[in-house]
Amino acid sequence: MIKRINTLILLISWAVTAHAQTINFHAWGGSPQVNRYLQWVNTQTEAEFGITVNHVKLADTSDAVSRVLAEKAAGNHDRGSVDLIWINGENFAAMKRHGLLHQNWVSSLTNFALTNPDKNRNMTMDFGIPTDGQEAPWGKAAMVFYYNARYLDVPPKNAAELLSFSQQHPGRFAYPLPTDYLGISFLKYLALTLPDIPHERLYAPVDAHSLRRVTMPLFEYLDALHPTLWHEGKFFARQASRLQRLFDDNALFVSFSFTAAEIPAAVSRFDLPTSTRTYAMADGSLSNVHFIGIPYNSGHKDAARKVVNFLLSPRAQARKKQRQVWGDDTVLDVSLLSDAQSRLFAGEQAHPAALPVNGHNQLLAEPHASWTDALREAWFTRYGDHL
Amino acid sequence: MFSTALLVSRWLFIALLIVPVGAGIVAVLLPALSYFPAIGEHHFSLAAFSRLMQVDSIVHMAMLSLFTGLMATFIATVGTLSILAISYHTAMLGWVQRLLSPVLVIPHAAAAIALGFILSPAGWPARLVSPELSGWIAPPVVSLLHDELGLSVTIALAIKALPFMLLMALSVLAQPHLADRLQKQVCVARTMGYTPATAFLSVVWPVLYPLIRLPVLAVLAFATANVEIPLILGPGSPPTLAVAVLQWFNNVDIFMRLQASAAACLHIGVTGLAIIIWLLIEKGAAALFHRRRCTGARNFASWWLSVIAYFTLGTLILLMLCMLISLVTWSFATYWPFPDTFPLGITLIHWQTSLTALSQPALNALLIALPVSVIAVGLSLLVLEQEQISHRATVSPGLKKEAVLFLPLLVPGVAFLFGLTWFSQFIGAGVWLPVLVSHFVYVLPYVFLSLAVAYRRFDIRYTYVGYGLGASPYDVFWKVKLPQLFAPIMVALALGIAISFSQYLPTLLPGAGTIATVTTESVAVSAGGSRRLSAVYTLVQMIMPLIGFALAWWLPLRFFNPAAWSD
Repeated sequence: MIKRINTLILLISWAVTAHAQTINFHAWGGSPQVNRYLQWVNTQTEAEFGITVNHVKLADTSDAVSRVLAEKAAGNHDRGSVDLIWINGENFAAMKRHGLLHQNWVSSLTNFALTNPDKNRNMTMDFGIPTDGQEAPWGKAAMVFYYNARYLDVPPKNAAELLSFSQQHPGRFAYPLPTDYLGISFLKYLALTLPDIPHERLYAPVDAHSLRRVTMPLFEYLDALHPTLWHEGKFFARQASRLQRLFDDNALFVSFSFTAAEIPAAVSRFDLPTSTRTYAMADGSLSNVHFIGIPYNSGHKDAARKVVNFLLSPRAQARKKQRQVWGDDTVLDVSLLSDAQSRLFAGEQAHPAALPVNGHNQLLAEPHASWTDALREAWFTRYGDHL
Repeated sequence: MFSTALLVSRWLFIALLIVPVGAGIVAVLLPALSYFPAIGEHHFSLAAFSRLMQVDSIVHMAMLSLFTGLMATFIATVGTLSILAISYHTAMLGWVQRLLSPVLVIPHAAAAIALGFILSPAGWPARLVSPELSGWIAPPVVSLLHDELGLSVTIALAIKALPFMLLMALSVLAQPHLADRLQKQVCVARTMGYTPATAFLSVVWPVLYPLIRLPVLAVLAFATANVEIPLILGPGSPPTLAVAVLQWFNNVDIFMRLQASAAACLHIGVTGLAIIIWLLIEKGAAALFHRRRCTGARNFASWWLSVIAYFTLGTLILLMLCMLISLVTWSFATYWPFPDTFPLGITLIHWQTSLTALSQPALNALLIALPVSVIAVGLSLLVLEQEQISHRATVSPGLKKEAVLFLPLLVPGVAFLFGLTWFSQFIGAGVWLPVLVSHFVYVLPYVFLSLAVAYRRFDIRYTYVGYGLGASPYDVFWKVKLPQLFAPIMVALALGIAISFSQYLPTLLPGAGTIATVTTESVAVSAGGSRRLSAVYTLVQMIMPLIGFALAWWLPLRFFNPAAWSD
């Protein structure tokens, strides 16, 4: 009898814990590679820890941020719908400001030490804001441009050349709305590279004076660029992924991305033409680290932590770095790894559409997070409501 | 017992339509009036509305919603009228019906994506004329998509509205007592020398139109407030009001929700205004038409009606063909540089990728659609039975119920769904229940209307025979009526499933984005980087409801069919 009761209790506790083991990972869902990678993560965590990772595909990460915010507002403090969230920059700044993130959990991850956080400051700094153990680094990215060699022999190599290219070939370049990650990144790239802008001001919190100093030359440039854009700058793509499709349509001759590996992968999947060539701008490439946070009201924090630790493992990071998988650069310091582990990161064969090795001329760090909102608002004030 | 169940079902039916919509409206009205305790707003004020009025393009947005909705409804109504006029009582009618029925179950999002494929500067029609005729070696810079007037939105809305109106009209015309009377009247008109089209316009339409007015108004309300079509095809600065509401709601700044709620309330006004304008147009057209009708011209409008009918049908068929061919081609395409008419090769890779990724969303869609449709069919049957037993409105349901039925179709979804989402978050109802309720609210009207047609046609004498043999009302319902109505019940079920499959906003909002269905995934992928994947998703979206209808057609052949028993 007692044995039976014990079995029953075991069964019940198993059922309860099994029930608690589904993690809702809210992450941008616009890239098939990322989606497939997360499916792989799910198979691994299910096998290793019995944790199911449900990828909630977001069109826009701010959707999840506002969801957690709404939950907090509605008094839902311990059974939130978001367990993990893929963020950086202003979304992190917003979540940190509103106290939406679980705190002081990152340093307890065994694999976090492998990122060598004491040496690599950008593992604990997100767009100039200290992460304070509220989010763990996941990957690194830098902006690249690509062009269609069928229509162009020489691509524009800096902001000024980009403008003259667009004037020569009206309608063949586009950038997404600044509400999109890549859209605001394009504005930052311009702000960091256009002459007549005091670039050092972008690394300090924004104020009215520096905003004016930055936006005056910026808008002068954009005023000239917009009439030459796709749809004459009257309609902007809402999402970055739209650019890739327009490029594939041959409607755009030059485009850009924040994930260099996505381009050869898309060519292999037939989603970009074979004549696609990737390059980096001569005047510099915007670069940053992206992170994973756990909302303060997640009901599955322990399981979520386990998943993040797995995501930081050499095995998961090496797979993510493979171009056929995702091609996202690792945050681990490979010199800290064992020989067997670092062999996982060995090089791959070259692809004609891929960015050449050492293709980046200069990496530009992200401006202070306060600039994101300021630049975006200034853009909308100047160019009207685009929704 | 059975009669109690019937009575309860009647109240349940009305409550299930009114309560979610009502709760949603109240819940969106409170934040619109700046009452949102959760973010520290405790005082009623009109601040959100005044902020909304300060948005430069707000009038423009409202006008865009009005224009696209009214134009699409107008095109669909004129198209319905002219097609019926030339095909009423001809063999062509059945052919038109068969042609347009599948279009009815294509989800709005799929229609919009497919239209985007062919209107795109790199679309198949542009490739056909390039480079020989047009001289284009790269896609033209001018684009028909995202035009500031919303013309592509209007076309997509009209494509979806026309089959709905036409089939509603046909179901009305199929009512035996009406069909008889009208046929006789048309015969009289024909013997007096009126051409078939003029006879239809003068005799049938004035009787028919009042009977389909509610569906027409539902189409209008839906067209003004639809989100996914203008989101995919529409302009961005400014977008239609419904798209703006969605974007503001999703804004990271939670205080924008007050403005979004105010805009959602404004949308109820805009939709109301559209209905008023439509009723005025209706009055004007009726007066104008009445004078012309009395001139006695035997072929009045006959030529115009056939021109419009053939133009509409021709355009529709051409568009559908183009959409289908281009979707199928893209879904198998390898590289496909611009002016080439066909891709350089074909591959199965896009289908393989998508089918794996779509299995969970397809399962979710089924998990929502099946219970919702089964309950909707069951409830509708009980309500129809109750009406027939109580001899109330044996022929057509009373006006009150009809109006209740159209409530969710007349109130803009962007308004009450946001309220409903907020409300369900507030009471902690999770995500599945609110999604099921929202779907139910949209599925029930269609299922009920579709079943009501069959109930109207049911030969009541069978039930008399049943009662005469001593069967209880329950037995008559269960053993006499249901087996004979098996085919229409299956069709209603398939329709319910199809409607549920196609819901975008009712899945996205109450589901908090966590429940992915084929439709939500398809809209997400349509904004993504791969035209080929989007083609596959859209095709799957179109095929899924058709499977339901194929089953609905096949199952009655197997069951309750004497021919099948004799095997």
